[in-house]
Formats: sequence, structure tokens, C-alpha cells
Amino acid sequence: MNKTIVKIFILFTLSAAAIATVLLGINFLGIAYISSDAAANIYKRSPKRTLDLVAEELTPTDGGFTLEQGLVPDEDWCILIDESGEVIWSEHMPGDIPTHYSINDVARMTRWFISDYPVYVRTTDSGLLVLGVPKNSVSKYSIEYSMNWFESLPWRILLVLMINICLAALLACIAGLKLYRKLRKLCGGIQDLQREKPVRLLEKGVFKEISKAVNSTSDAIERKNAALAARDSARANWINGISHDIRTPLSVIVGYSEELAKSEADGESRRKAEIITAQSIKIKKLIDDLNLISSLEYDMQPSKRQAVRICPLLRRVAADIVNSGLSDKFEINLDLRSERAEVLGDDSLLERAVFNLINNSIAHNKNGCAIQVIEYLKGTAVCVEIKDNGSGAPSEVLDSIAEMPKSAHGLGLPMAYKIISVHGGTFSAWNDWGMKVRIELPSA
Amino acid sequence: MQTEIKNKKILVVDDEKELLSLLSDILYKNGFYNVITASDCAGAIKTAGAQSVSLYLLDVNLPDGDGFELFERLRKISDAPAIFLTARSDGSDRVKGLGLGADDYIVKPFLADELILRVSGVLKRVYGITETKPVFSLSGVTVNLETATVIKEGKETPLTAKEYILIKKLWENRNKIVTNDALCMAAWGEDYYGYENTLMVHIRRLRKKIEVEPSMPKALITAKGLGYKLVTENE
Repeated sequence: MNKTIVKIFILFTLSAAAIATVLLGINFLGIAYISSDAAANIYKRSPKRTLDLVAEELTPTDGGFTLEQGLVPDEDWCILIDESGEVIWSEHMPGDIPTHYSINDVARMTRWFISDYPVYVRTTDSGLLVLGVPKNSVSKYSIEYSMNWFESLPWRILLVLMINICLAALLACIAGLKLYRKLRKLCGGIQDLQREKPVRLLEKGVFKEISKAVNSTSDAIERKNAALAARDSARANWINGISHDIRTPLSVIVGYSEELAKSEADGESRRKAEIITAQSIKIKKLIDDLNLISSLEYDMQPSKRQAVRICPLLRRVAADIVNSGLSDKFEINLDLRSERAEVLGDDSLLERAVFNLINNSIAHNKNGCAIQVIEYLKGTAVCVEIKDNGSGAPSEVLDSIAEMPKSAHGLGLPMAYKIISVHGGTFSAWNDWGMKVRIELPSA
Repeated sequence: MQTEIKNKKILVVDDEKELLSLLSDILYKNGFYNVITASDCAGAIKTAGAQSVSLYLLDVNLPDGDGFELFERLRKISDAPAIFLTARSDGSDRVKGLGLGADDYIVKPFLADELILRVSGVLKRVYGITETKPVFSLSGVTVNLETATVIKEGKETPLTAKEYILIKKLWENRNKIVTNDALCMAAWGEDYYGYENTLMVHIRRLRKKIEVEPSMPKALITAKGLGYKLVTENE
């Protein structure tokens, strides 16, 4: 989620910088357009062009010059000054224009004005051609630049551009940072929502509506979880209560059937009594399992947590299984490599998990198999591998190892899985010339 | 000496009439003739006040209070041991009961043998009644736990203290594998880690005394990686 924020932030900054650059370019062109006088000359010939035309078209005649009518616009005027400073030809010349020019006059007017008329000057073979435009129609400024200025111009333009980009990026960063802070809070809220933690965001600013929605979603999740927890604990209590109530009558059944089985009654009745006892013991075991499963399901932590040494536990379970009358077709080998390994948890639950796994190998390989129990330390984890060389487990069993079966049959593996998970461990099972299970528990 | 235990007065408290009579029946059939019953806390207090009781067998769920409370009140009357009888299998009740100072804890339903074993066990422990220590024969030798000696080929050899503990533990679980851990625990207590090699030394010495052919043991068998097993003759 934080990656996303960083991405958004980078995108935001980059696009802001890009926008600034584009705007700068457009503005530059805009300024060029505004500041140039090109617009004024689009529909009218420029004075300089007129002057060129006049210079070309002015033809000397004897004692004077002729020019095509209308070449000089009506509001403008034109004169030709010869070497001696005399006006030798004129068109539309206003009355306030002198007819003789000294060198000083020529120097003064060439770039500027004659009697406040802006003028343009061109040299011809016949003399100096001067075109005047109406007073106050054009203002003239002299601009001078050193060559150094021209040489360093590209660099300065680049510098200004860079400063602009940097400034734009900085401003975007600041704006982005502000947004980022708000977004981060929002993202944190959504992440907490995902983890079903209670969320309370400040409902103001740009994200007011979203914050509101996140808050109300969090409330809804909390309500739902509370309802679920209440239902779960009600169910767990109910299971606990029922199994409690079954135990007492079952005690009476076991007690009397046992008594009958030992009594002097005839063989048939004794056999029946023995069956009743055996079946009652089966019910007792089922109730124990039911209770265990229900408590594992609803209390995610084992109630007892103490340091449990794994190796004695494995030996105890293996010895118990062998002692319970294990057939010679089976073989249990222990390879315990880390004698001191300890985990935190409930020893009787862990014992049950290991028992279930070994027992599973025995129960599903009627023709016997060799079972290997390997224990070792891997980093901070205590690993226990239980492997057999039997026929392996059906894939649907391996796939649904994390789910509780619908009946008491096939409870062994899921129960072991559950016990290991409530102890914060990992459980993996697979087939590889037999069934293999690896448990990893955090070392104490 | 067995009758001494069986003469002890046992007070059974349970609200289920059926279970109460079953418990009395089982105890009676196993020679405990001195059994009295009560079906609630009030009755139990009254009975315990009137007679001297040697063992309380208490149900945890009672109509007028729970067994734990009753136990604490009974403790004010006498210091007799108590065994809780409960329908709850989860650990919390067990820890609570034993934490209060109860002597044992039985989860319903139970087998008659288990009940008798536990009742006898508590009585023996509390009233210091010593069992007659067995004399048993292994392949070719006789072990006398009473005198802590082994008789092999007519020659009597004494057992050391550790050897005695080990063979007693093995005998109690005869024909079953006893793990190294359980043996070490019996000989050296809770913190037995590191005694595995010492155990092997003691087992080797023990074999010299109880095996006809110590290099090929027939009575004290090694269960590889697990522990040891004492094989007895026609038990």
C-alpha cells in the first residue's frame, strides 16, 4: 500500500514538473507573439518593404524622378536626398520637413525621426532614400547587446529553464507532500480495515467522504466480528456443556457394563457388556476430541504455555505407541539431532499432534511401514519431520488438511494441523514414496 | 497391610444418584467397605463434621456450589486428601483443582480399575502405607526389591541406590518401553538433562548383575533411540 503512495507521489511530482515546462514553453511563445510587432504588418506592407519597392521603382528622368502612383501609401511620405544634402525628389512630403540636410542631420535621423516623423532610410545610387510614417505611429528604441551576451544566451536560457523546472518540481513536491500525508493516513486506515483492526480517521479535508466511509466500514466490521465471536463462544460453550452433560451418564454406563463384563453372567451377556464398555470408551474419546477441536477452533491460543522439550516428548509418544501393542510390521526410528530444542506451548496438545501423525501412518498402512521421526533446528525454528514409506495419503486429504472434516473420521491430520497453527507453527504434508509431514515450531 | 488402606473411610460427593451408587458399588466390590455418600455441599459438610473421613471423592459440579469451594471448606474440618471427579476434560479445571492442593483428578467417564488405582494410590501416599515390595524373576535371575538384591546362579549381589531406582521404575512398567527421559527423571529428578550417558553406565552395571550374558541382554532390552524395556518371565 505504501508503495502505491510513493508511486502516486512520484507521478504527481513528475506531471507537475511536466505541466510547468509545457506552460513555460507556451508562455515563452506567447510573450514572443505579444512583444513582436508582426501583427501590425500582416495586412499592410512594412515601411522597410515599401522603401525597397520605392528604391527599385524610382526611375530617374531628365531633371527629376518618376514613381508609380500609390506605391507610397497616402499617410506616408518619401524623399530622396543627394550627396550634398539637398532633397532632390519627394512624395507627399509634409511642410514641416526640411529640404536641406547636413551630415549631422543625416546621422541624427537615419535611425530615428525627422521632426517627430518616424523615418526609415535606405541608400540608393542616386542618394539617400527616406520614408516617413505619420507622427506617433511608431516608437523607436535602440537596443545593444555585447557579443558575450549572445554567446552565453543559450546557457542562460537553459539556466532559467532549469530553475523553472526545479521550482515547479519543488512546489509540486510540497503540494504532493501535503497530499501524501493525507493519503498515508487514509491508506493506513484501509490497511487496518483489511486486518480488521478498529479504524477512526479524522473526518475533514479533501478525503472527508472517504474517511467517513472507511470509519463506518470499520464500525460495521467490528459489529459483525463481535456478533461472530458471540456466536462462536456460544457454540463453544454449548459443545462444552453438552459434552459435560454426557460424561456423567456415560460414567454410569461404563461402570455398570464393566461390572457386568466381570460378573458371573453367561458368556454371551459378558461379551455384550464388554462391547458396551468398549463403545462407551469410544464415545468418551469422541467427546474429548470434540472438546479439543472446539477449543482449538475458538480460542486461538493454547491455554497453557510453557517450555516444552521436544525430544523427550517425541520419545514419549513413540514409546507409548510401541507399548500400546504395535505390530512387528511397523518400525519407528527416531533421529533427534537437537536434544535441547524447546518450544513454548501445551505439552499435551503437542503430544496429541505428534501422536496423531504417527498414528495416521500406522492406521493407513495396514501392511506395515517404517516410520521415521527426524528432529532438528533450522534457524530459530524447531523442525520435526514424520515420514513413512507406505502408500501415501490421497490428494484430497492433503488438500483439505486445514479444514475440519464433517465427521470424527479422518480428524487426526486436521487436528494436528490446528494444534500446530495455534502454536504459531507451520505444517506441510506431501507424498513422496509415502506420506511426509514437516512441522516447524518457533523455538522457545 | 492392604486391608489397612481399605478400612479408610471415603466420602463420595456427587449430585447424580446413579453415579453415587455406582461409585459406592465399585469401591465396595474392590474391598473399600467404609464408603459414605452425600449429594450436595451441605450434606458433605454435615457428614464430614460428624465422622472422621480419610479421603474425599468430590464432584466439581454440585447443585449448591462447586467442588473447589467445598474442598476449601472441608479442609477447615480435616486435612484428609481429596480426589476431584469432573466431567470437564480441559486443563483449566485440572490446574485449578491440583493448585488448591487436591491429591488427584479423575475425568469422567472413568474405568473402575483406574478409579481404584487412583484411590489406593492417594491413600497409600498420604497414610504412608508401604507396599510389600515384589520379588520377581527375570531370565535366569531373581530380583528382590524388598532387600534390593539380585540372586544370580545362587549368588546374592546388592543393588546400588540408582540401580534400585532404575530397576524399580522398569519393573513398574514391565514389558513396556520406559523412555530414557523417564528413567533419568526417576533417578536424578526434573533437571536431568545431560545424564543420558550416566544412565547408560548405570544400565551397563545393572546388566552385569541381572543378565546371565550381559553382552546379549535378555531381560533388560534396549529400545533404540527410545529407552529400555524390562522383560519378565510369564507374568
